[in-house]
Parts: sequence; C-alpha cells; structure tokens
Amino acid sequence: MSYLLRLMLKEEFRMHARYSSPRMFLAFPVFVFLFSLAIGLTSRRILEATPLNEAILFLHVSAFLYGLGVGAFGFLGAQYVERRHGSRNYIVTMPSLLPMSFRRTFLGMYVRDALFYILLVLVPMVLGLLASVPFTGFRPASIGFLFLASLVSFLLGMSLSFFVSTLYMRSRLAFLLGTGLITAAFAGYALFRLIPIESILPGLAMHYGLPPFSAPGAPALLAGLAGAGVIAACVAGALVLVQDQYEPRSMPAREELPKVDARLGLARAYRILLAKEFVDLKRSGTIAKMFFSFVTPLILLSFTAWLVRYGFRVPVGFNSVFYGAMVGFFGVLLYNWLNNVDAMDHYETLPLGVPQVIRSKLLAFLILTTGISSVFVVGVSALNGDLRLLWLAFPVMLITSVYMVVMTAYLTGLRTNSFLFNPGVLAQFSVMAMLPDLGLTILSFTVDRDPVFTMAGIALVLVVLAAATVFLYRGIDGKWSHASFAE
Amino acid sequence: MKAIEAHGLGKRFDSVVALDGVDLELESGEFFGLFGPNGAGKTTLLRILTGQLTPSAGVAKVLGIDPAKEPLKVKAAIGIVPEVESPPSYLTATEYLYFVGRVRDVANLQQAIDRWITFFDLEGARGTICRDLSKGTRQKLMLAAAFLHGPDLLFLDEPFINLDPIYQRRLKDFLLEYNAQGHTVFMCSHLLEIAEKLCDQVAIIDGGRLIARGSVAELRKEDKDLEAAFLRLVGERR
Repeated sequence: MSYLLRLMLKEEFRMHARYSSPRMFLAFPVFVFLFSLAIGLTSRRILEATPLNEAILFLHVSAFLYGLGVGAFGFLGAQYVERRHGSRNYIVTMPSLLPMSFRRTFLGMYVRDALFYILLVLVPMVLGLLASVPFTGFRPASIGFLFLASLVSFLLGMSLSFFVSTLYMRSRLAFLLGTGLITAAFAGYALFRLIPIESILPGLAMHYGLPPFSAPGAPALLAGLAGAGVIAACVAGALVLVQDQYEPRSMPAREELPKVDARLGLARAYRILLAKEFVDLKRSGTIAKMFFSFVTPLILLSFTAWLVRYGFRVPVGFNSVFYGAMVGFFGVLLYNWLNNVDAMDHYETLPLGVPQVIRSKLLAFLILTTGISSVFVVGVSALNGDLRLLWLAFPVMLITSVYMVVMTAYLTGLRTNSFLFNPGVLAQFSVMAMLPDLGLTILSFTVDRDPVFTMAGIALVLVVLAAATVFLYRGIDGKWSHASFAE
Repeated sequence: MKAIEAHGLGKRFDSVVALDGVDLELESGEFFGLFGPNGAGKTTLLRILTGQLTPSAGVAKVLGIDPAKEPLKVKAAIGIVPEVESPPSYLTATEYLYFVGRVRDVANLQQAIDRWITFFDLEGARGTICRDLSKGTRQKLMLAAAFLHGPDLLFLDEPFINLDPIYQRRLKDFLLEYNAQGHTVFMCSHLLEIAEKLCDQVAIIDGGRLIARGSVAELRKEDKDLEAAFLRLVGERR
C-alpha cells in the first residue's frame, strides 16, 4: 500500500497545484495557520461571548461536517472510473487495467484523503493555536488533546461518508436508510434532546473528558476507543460493500434535447447550452444532489437560528431579511455542482468559449434556485410569523444570490472546487463574500430599532452589490476567454 | 489561397519544448499528413492551428484567420476530430449531433443528422447515451460531428483509431471524395499505410521540429514505402 499511497498523495497534490502553482497551493495551509493564530489571539474576547464548551461543540460539529464533505469525494470514485476514457485518468481507475483490486485503491483513496486534508487543514490549525501560546497562555497539552479529539470527529465524518457512498453504489434504498438514520440521530439531539450530542460525536465526548474540562481518565479513553471503533467499522463496512468490479449502469434515454431546446426560446443565444445543462443534470442524477446540497444548509441555517433564539435564549432578531441574505450565500454550492456534471473537453472542438458556458451555467443556476429560495424565505418567514419584511427580503435574496454566483463564476470559472484551494482566490472570495453578507446580517438585526438607517444601509449595500455584479459579469469575458475546457 | 500558414510556431509547457519554430504552408485542396513519433508535437501543432492552444511563439493563419486571436471564428470555419473521443456523457448520439448542429447553426439540421447517422450506421445508438457507447461508436460520432456542417477544412487527429476495417474503408472513401471536391484535410496519424494512400503532401515532425516536408514520392526517395522513409528519417536523428 505504501507506494500506492505515495503515488495517490502526489496525484492529489498535482491535481490541486495544476490550477494555481505548487507554491500558491502550499500557501493554503499557511492561510489556515494565520487564521487559526488570529482566532487564538482573539480567543479571550470570543470566549466572553461563547463559553468554551459551546466553542468546542462548534469545533467538533465543524470537524465532523468537514469530514463528511471530504468523504463525499468517495462518491467521485465512481465518476473517475466512468471518465477513464477521457483525457485525464486517475490511479483509482487502474484496477480496470492492472492486477490490483478496486478495494485496495478505494482504501488508498480513504487514507489519501484523510492524510491530505489533515495536513492541509487540521495540522496548520493546531500549529496556529500553538503559535498563540506565548500570548494566550493556552497549555500545549490541551491543544494536543484538541487535535486528537477533533481528529476523531473529522475521521468519523469522513468514514461515515465513505460508508454511505458504498451503500449508494449498492442500493439507493439502503443509502436512504443509512442517511435517514444519521439524520435521525442528529434530529434526536437537535430537536428533542433525546440523544446527548456526545453519544453521536465520540470525539466531543473524548474532548469533554480531557483538560481543560476534566483530568484525563477512563471516560476520555473509552470515548476515544468508541470513536476509533465506529471509524474502523465504517471503513471496514465500506471495504466489504464496495464492488471490486465496477460497471457503470447503462442508461436508456429518449431524445429530449430538441424538446427542451424548443421550450427555452427566452434564453436566446444560450438556449441550446442551457437545454444541454438541464438534460445533463437530469440524466446524471446531479439535480437530486444539488437539491439536497442546497436545501440541507438552508434547513441547518433555520435550525441554528432556532437553536440560538429558543435553545440558547439569545435575543437575536433573525428576520426574513437575514434569511434572504443567507440564501444568496449558499448558491455557491450549487454553482460548484453545475461544474461537476461531466468532463467538458468536447467543447474544445466547437466554436464555443469558456465565458459562454459560464453564462449558461449562471442562467441554469438562476432558473433552478430562484423558486426554491423564494419558497424557503416565504416559508421560514411564515413559520416565524415575520411576513411583514418580505418586500425587503426578496430584493435582498435576489441581489445577493446573483452577486454571489457571478462573483464565484468570475473568480473560479468552470473549476470552482479547485480554484477555492488557491489561497489568492480564496482570500478574494472570502472578502468579497463575507463583507456584504456581514453588512446585511448586521443591518437585518437593526431593522426594528432604526428602520430609516437600516433601509438606507440595505439599499446602499444592494446598489453596490448590483453594480459589482454587472462589473464582474462583464469581466468574465476578459478573464476567461482564453481558458481551456480541458481538465 | 493558402489554407494554413504558420511561421515560427513554438509552444512550451513549463520547461518542456513541445514545438520549436515550425514553418508550414498548405494550399487549399491539399490532403496533408503529419507524422511523427509519440510526443513529437503533432497534436500540439494541431491544437494550436485549431485555436485550442495559444502558441508561445510565432503566428499562424487558418483560412486567413489567426487562431490565437480569433479561436471561435476558426473553430466555426473548420471541423475537428480530437485525439481522444470524448462526446458528452449524458447526451444520446443524435442529441449530440443536434447539439453540435445548433451550436454551429447548421441549415437543414435534421437532414444533416440523418445523413451522418446513416453513413456511420449509428441508428442503433439513437437511444443510448454517449457514456454507454463503445469506443468505436464514439469515434464515429466525433467524426460525424466534425463533418456535420460541411467545413472547407478538416483537422483530424488519428481519425482511424478504434474503427473497424469496414468503417476505415468508408471513411477513406469519404475523405478522398471530400478532398476531390477541393476541400483541405490536415491529418495526424501513426497509420502510415493508410496515410500513404490518402495524402498528397506529408511532413514528419520530431522533437517539436519539422524534419521533412514534401510529396509522398519526394519523402520516399529510394525507400520502398512511407514507413521505411519515416524510420530512416527519424532513425537518423536518434
């Protein structure tokens, strides 16, 4: 395994580094280190607002979700295999040619992703906290325990994701049952407090059994062992379930493209590209993945707001304007999905430029999301008995959505996933996304205290965002006209 | 009129020199074959001339258009068969041809689609998405997509790969007829036997440089066939 793992790690590094440069890519952990150092240096103030146990809960939930996200790449294993005849190939597809088992490369993919993302994010995060020790007085041993415990949460998320991905390959029903069980466990904690969160996240239980919460002892050891056991069981389950001979299911299809094309007259020059987007989304099953990846964070957002207001009893006025602003932020996830449906090499032979295809994806995004976003904002406002601000929430939602997705398209073109690992692009993205979102969030909280100030502030932010959207949209041509479709 | 003009074309990929000062001129109506060992620069040259890659040095004109400055205009005027057959995974064969026809604004599109579906015997692939087609069928589809709009100039990168002898023959006949009508063909291939029967002008590229250029007869000289000439010319440089 060791030589295979080394090669897979090299492959992963080169794949990411190709989109910027090795130096720029290696700057990403430096970025994480500096961010973590800043958190450490400002921890006294942060802990005044958020008690340590809640901050640690937040850390473990984030590490778990991050692991789930990394593990979700396990789903891509099948896509890589299907793309083996394309212009790029990956080691994970080698079992079709060499006397090696797909189980072995699948395990390699798990270990590779675990090592790669631990080194990329968790290690620099911990080093950042360690660097803050001279100023904060944190005990290095506590930071070491934090690393170990958050590692358990991260690996748990990753292993669950890998396991569930193999269920998905075997049976859609088993997949739905598996994800349903995980969701039910979290809902059991979040909605009804039936299950303590520590029993869902053994890494958190382990952390609560270690300094600075308590002296190290049997509870922490048991929780750690339980976590390791679940991780090992998930990985073993995934290896048992993964099919050694991967065969893509053949899919009969009726001719739909001309009909969809005929229905999209309003899209004019982008009509045929848009029609292809919709047919691709439907047949590849991406539409369902997109739906869940958009709706899940919206539900999580509603739940978090509900928890803060009613669970923690913090009197924050989450109104429909706040939700309108937040909905825009999540659109980035959908734009990323739109870029991952299929390889785009074949466009190279046609009189099409990257900017045209980006625009068709922006149009698809607007058509797909506007309805869901509107229903969400109206629904959540109705549930909160807060329909009075809908007239303001709608323009906020529309303008932030369009701004966010156009800004993402401008910065990352057709390779969102990869370019966001480029620290330069990530820094620009963070500033351009967070500043307006933060502004709108703060303004939304003051709407009842000072309506005139709030309206004027929101109007100003929206005008600036609309102007920026036009500027960035026009800039897509200049930035991407010479880019290649080839991966 | 010159179909292709290239002067001092060069391409570097980091420290690798893929193309080094290539000069090339092709008259309209020529059937040109470019041969060379693996990694010699054939595909790189083809991709630069078709506007898929920007050269690091030199200039080119294809049908009077600079592919580096106006790649979309060049791609609209020509037909390209790429080295790797990679039609979109989730469209059926006919849907892909429909898509290409709509992008290229082909007149009488349905008629054109039917013609090429019949020519390559793709009737059975109508209801199958490209991901599930065999390599040979995908290659036929890429060929059909390149011919659909009846371009004056074709760029073909290994067009015979994956085709069975029946369709190799059919494609050869079509290309000869197409060329006889005054159209130009630029073809990269390793199949020297086929190329010898089709091409009237050939060139050999090695290490990013054109090392020989002329008619098939001029390159063969005293060699028994093009393959022997190729081995001699490339072998002399090894």
